[in-house]
Amino acid sequence: MKTGTLPGGPLRGDGEVTPSWWSRRKKRYIDWCTIGFCILGGLLVGLTVLALASITVAELADPAHLLKVAASSRVIESILLTFGAGASAVLLLIIFGTPLAYILARSRPSRFKGVVESIIDIPLILPHTVAGLLVYLLFMRRGWLGAPLLEVGIAFEDALPGTIVAMLFVASPFYINSMREGFEKVPIHLENVARTLGAGTFTTFRTVSLPLSLRHMYSGALLAWGRAIGEFAGVIMIAYYPFIISTLIYYSFTTDGIHTSRSIAFTVIVVSFAVFYILRRMTRYLGRYDDRV
Amino acid sequence: MIEFDSVSLALGSFRLRDVSLTIERGDYYFIVGPSGAGKTVLLEVIAGLHQPESGRVLLRGDEITALPPEKRGIALVYQDYSLFPNMRVIDNVAYGLRVQGTRKKEARAEVAPLLDRFGITHLADRYPGTLSGGEQQRVALARAVAVKPDILLLDEPLSALDPITQEKFIADLKRLHREDGLTIVQVSHSRREAHLLATRMAVIIGGSLVDEGKAGTVLNTPKSRDVAAFVGIENILDGTVTANEDGLATVDVDGLAFEAVTEAVLGEEVSLCIRADDVVITVGESHLSSARNTVVGTVISVVENGPIAEVKVDAGAPLTAVLTRRSVRDLALAPGTSVTLSVKATAIHVIRAFS
Repeated sequence: MKTGTLPGGPLRGDGEVTPSWWSRRKKRYIDWCTIGFCILGGLLVGLTVLALASITVAELADPAHLLKVAASSRVIESILLTFGAGASAVLLLIIFGTPLAYILARSRPSRFKGVVESIIDIPLILPHTVAGLLVYLLFMRRGWLGAPLLEVGIAFEDALPGTIVAMLFVASPFYINSMREGFEKVPIHLENVARTLGAGTFTTFRTVSLPLSLRHMYSGALLAWGRAIGEFAGVIMIAYYPFIISTLIYYSFTTDGIHTSRSIAFTVIVVSFAVFYILRRMTRYLGRYDDRV
Repeated sequence: MIEFDSVSLALGSFRLRDVSLTIERGDYYFIVGPSGAGKTVLLEVIAGLHQPESGRVLLRGDEITALPPEKRGIALVYQDYSLFPNMRVIDNVAYGLRVQGTRKKEARAEVAPLLDRFGITHLADRYPGTLSGGEQQRVALARAVAVKPDILLLDEPLSALDPITQEKFIADLKRLHREDGLTIVQVSHSRREAHLLATRMAVIIGGSLVDEGKAGTVLNTPKSRDVAAFVGIENILDGTVTANEDGLATVDVDGLAFEAVTEAVLGEEVSLCIRADDVVITVGESHLSSARNTVVGTVISVVENGPIAEVKVDAGAPLTAVLTRRSVRDLALAPGTSVTLSVKATAIHVIRAFS
């Protein structure tokens, strides 16, 4: 600690004792509220960090085994399959969910709108097994949609389309709600002006509303993708095979034991963290023109 | 050019009631009224952004009630400018041409003279968020004019600007109206703007049209007490007609007798509207004057505002006069000064209670 004499202030005479670090510190205003919030929040983050540290320490103790599992074709294939299926579900959400979000954002409150909004949120409140069962009943070989689609050659049971449709079902509220919020933030005046300048409804949507909601679209798609690739119970009901990553970990846990399933889990953590971190970084400036407008 | 035939519309708790008005080609038409009166909604109905529940809207003689906004040839500038934040200034201005099918390069070239005219060429590559209020306003106006509309709708375009920028903008608007022959419809709550710009005007209060006509007529001889108060007539005195000889009536206002020209009959309740600049103040011995009304009172306050001053006088009824600061100095007016006020009978506009 630096104890030299501070440059003399107007009130400090020669030979006067410099205040100690502690006495100066005590005079500073302490915001107990912020400190309290930080402690409470820190406990929550600490829990995740602790869990990650526990698996990391265990895995790094045997790097050879970790590398072997991480480089195995079934793990790599499963990760690619999971990410790909999740991306397909998000693509479908963008195609079908964006118009829905726009209509919800621009329509006046009504009982019908309230019902539609509640239906959209159903996957959020249902236990995942129930969501899985709903998807299964609808898309199984004898299901209302499963049967006719099987006739045209699209099978859902234990097939990739089953995985995608289950992911779509559970992830849809995340995308639709985020997109709707984005559209709601676009001032209606901007759309009105575009219309009076000669743009039709779709041109206005394409040139004004959508570009100004890109940030919400990206963020909603990312959330939905994260939710989709993390799904387990919703997917296994309709498509136990092909193995998505969560099914593979469960399968490995029940057949190979904790050691292998833990290595797969650790690999997934590292890959997911890296991918999401990069995607977030890429969009730091997306849709930010100037906050003053 | 634009005709409203008994247009009614409900938006949430707000209602536009049975509005009929006519805006002619070349008019600088003002729609004035207090906040929440329905002025902006009326503008949006003209633009086609709301469809009336009943009544008809006609444009150039054709009914356009159900015509979408993009097919009307009517441009709109909002109070908040509403520039597209995701586009550069030049692309904002070129937006109308772009959506009508002009290629980007050609559209940019076409709007370049407009940027020059509005003095925003140096801002062409900037995004709206980095512009000042006045700059944004000029971009918004250039964007609206770029599509060569017949009619330009302006929603309180001056309210967010500082006084110096306001003056410049008023000059721009005058030029647009005169040189480009645009029909302009402007929503405002400022009497001063109406004085400076309007050729005709309508007053909307509580969703209903309460007065319409030539700007000077509405501003100086309003049809109702509410309109008089809104257009800023400083002295509105309620009284009763006590005599009327050949149209020259005597009106009793709290014991003061005023003479005014009106057809109001004996015993009728009326409101007298006297503009503050029609009130003449004299101090000391009174001089002979042609003014039919003279009252004596005491100055309550003198508020100076630039070269003019507003003098409030208690003459039994409160009266306000507007003088030059020099007159205030020459007459040595101050609170407590005894003064004589005179008003010509012809300068008093009489509103009959049941007219």
